[in-house]
Amino acid sequence: MGKFLRQSSVLFIVLVLAVPVLAGYRDIASNAIVNQAVVESEIENLCLTCHESAMMDEKRRKIPGEWRASWHFQNDVSCHNCHGGDPQDAALAMSPERGFVGVPKYQRVPAFCGTCHIGILKNYLASGHGRALMENGSGPNCVTCHGAHNIQKATIDIINENRCSQCHSYDRAKEMKHALSRTEQKIEDIEASITRLKAARVFTEEEDKEVFRTLAEFRTLFHVVDVSLVKDKTDDYLKRLGVIDKKLQGIFSELDSRRNFSVFLLLIFVGMAITGYLLSKTYS
Amino acid sequence: MLKAIKNWIEVRIGLDELVRDQLTEYRIPRNINLFYSLGTVAIAAFSIQVLTGIVLLVYYVPHPDHAFKSVQGIMMDVPYGWLFRQVHAVGSNLLVIVVALHMLSVFFMKSYAKPREMTWLVGFAMLLLTLTFCLSGYLLPWSQLSYWATTIVTNMPTAFPYIGDYLTEFQRGSSQVSGATLGRFFALHVMLLPALLVMLLGIHLFLIRRIGISRPPFGPGGQERVEWTQFHHESYPDGMPFYPHYIAKEVFMIMVYLSAMFFIIAFLPTLFSPADANIPADPFKTPAHIKPEWYFLAPYQMLRVIPSKFLGITLQMIAITVLFFWPFLDRKEERNILKRPVLLGGFIGALLVWIGLTIWGNF
Repeated sequence: MGKFLRQSSVLFIVLVLAVPVLAGYRDIASNAIVNQAVVESEIENLCLTCHESAMMDEKRRKIPGEWRASWHFQNDVSCHNCHGGDPQDAALAMSPERGFVGVPKYQRVPAFCGTCHIGILKNYLASGHGRALMENGSGPNCVTCHGAHNIQKATIDIINENRCSQCHSYDRAKEMKHALSRTEQKIEDIEASITRLKAARVFTEEEDKEVFRTLAEFRTLFHVVDVSLVKDKTDDYLKRLGVIDKKLQGIFSELDSRRNFSVFLLLIFVGMAITGYLLSKTYS
Repeated sequence: MLKAIKNWIEVRIGLDELVRDQLTEYRIPRNINLFYSLGTVAIAAFSIQVLTGIVLLVYYVPHPDHAFKSVQGIMMDVPYGWLFRQVHAVGSNLLVIVVALHMLSVFFMKSYAKPREMTWLVGFAMLLLTLTFCLSGYLLPWSQLSYWATTIVTNMPTAFPYIGDYLTEFQRGSSQVSGATLGRFFALHVMLLPALLVMLLGIHLFLIRRIGISRPPFGPGGQERVEWTQFHHESYPDGMPFYPHYIAKEVFMIMVYLSAMFFIIAFLPTLFSPADANIPADPFKTPAHIKPEWYFLAPYQMLRVIPSKFLGITLQMIAITVLFFWPFLDRKEERNILKRPVLLGGFIGALLVWIGLTIWGNF
């Protein structure tokens, strides 16, 4: 019987070895197994292909790099989301039929960005900045403060003397920045807490959305460039952010109590392990 | 009252005799070592998985639209849900370690030698079942990690000629990992696999008790040879009592296991939970760095290194087959691996390759 089993095992292994020979050359040098899913999901972007090629001048060649370093890139906002066109069709990539708008004129920039940033556009147009641009084309547009492609996550440091004093005195802007700083600081603290919770693998989708909503409204508000309005609304925002913060602190204390409880159980099991060890030594 | 109950049972099933035969007068080799307790630790670990799994089953919803949220609900809303889930998740990883160590120690001490070939075969099948358990359970949280790791692993059979695509689709229930896959894996995880594992475990334990526990090849009496021409129960009349002597060692090892588990839960709660494990599955968004669970990293890396995936898969199948039938292929009488340099070298070499590929697969 043992001999039979041994012979059967050897025969089985030989059969398994024979399979590749019988199968021939299938899939040699193929990456299909491991990376198939990844390859399928990668979308070719012709905008980058052209802009990174030698046919572009240096200024235009820099654009893909600036975009990759931007907040838009981190949030999956690609070239065609702003400029239109079809990044997957070489023939129609820059066709107006596919919605290509290219580079907007200076006065058209707010409408261009406002396609997505709707609330901000509305408040900006109502502000002194917006009115100046629309009336005589001399006011600052979005790019003046935020840049074009290397757009970073907005902070109140965008309001600074160098930038503002190019057109007017810094006094009112300074007052505005001061009014915004409390809310801004609170938002930063909450975002840091959410990052810590994510690192602890807490799902914070609800809190993320709430902070995003508050932040979007807050950003929209101060594009009106009305100091007294910002001052009036600050308490409202702080109250809303306080509710989120309280919830986050509750999760932190829950995580602390979980760790303490786990340590308590750990000590019990360590104690029982020591007892088991001593007992086994006593018996032997 | 208690005495009356005990008497009532005694009259019906002979409890005293059972305790005497199975515990107090059951003797095991004096040179038995702690590695022999890994089997018991594995049973304890499996039992913990079953108990915590039942609790999770109460709240888990096996549907792509609800699975992720139900797991978050267990973690945040169900009282002590986090504890049951953490014990289940960390326990699944530790169970793989314990079962693998058990197999390695059996291999190292050649406990698979005649007449224990069947015990090895059943044990090996249980190792494969444990890995299938982990694979099927990994998908259930329906996170980015579980979705894409399952996509990788279920893609592997496409390397087989003729039947590869069918095998992959059969596993998934569709061409991509989908709700159909979740349903299949869920049914596997909570019904079919537990039933199979309990059945194999019963056979495994029956074989151990029927044949008798093997004597370690090291220490006093380790070199004794038993000629096995007809069946007899291998017993050790002058051996160590199983109860309370060895039971105390087993309790010690189970407590070490639980201590390790709660050390991880307390101080390294995210050890087995990368960031992608906390993002809901999105079939349209492939994460930048996808890789399977750590215990599948070595075969995964092997497939990446070998240019022909089919050859890679075939080599893995051969390795598994050779290991499965190893008791029939190893014909040397010598049980002490330290006196078999070629086998020892191969054992250590294979182990180092496995560890190396696992580390490499991380990058």
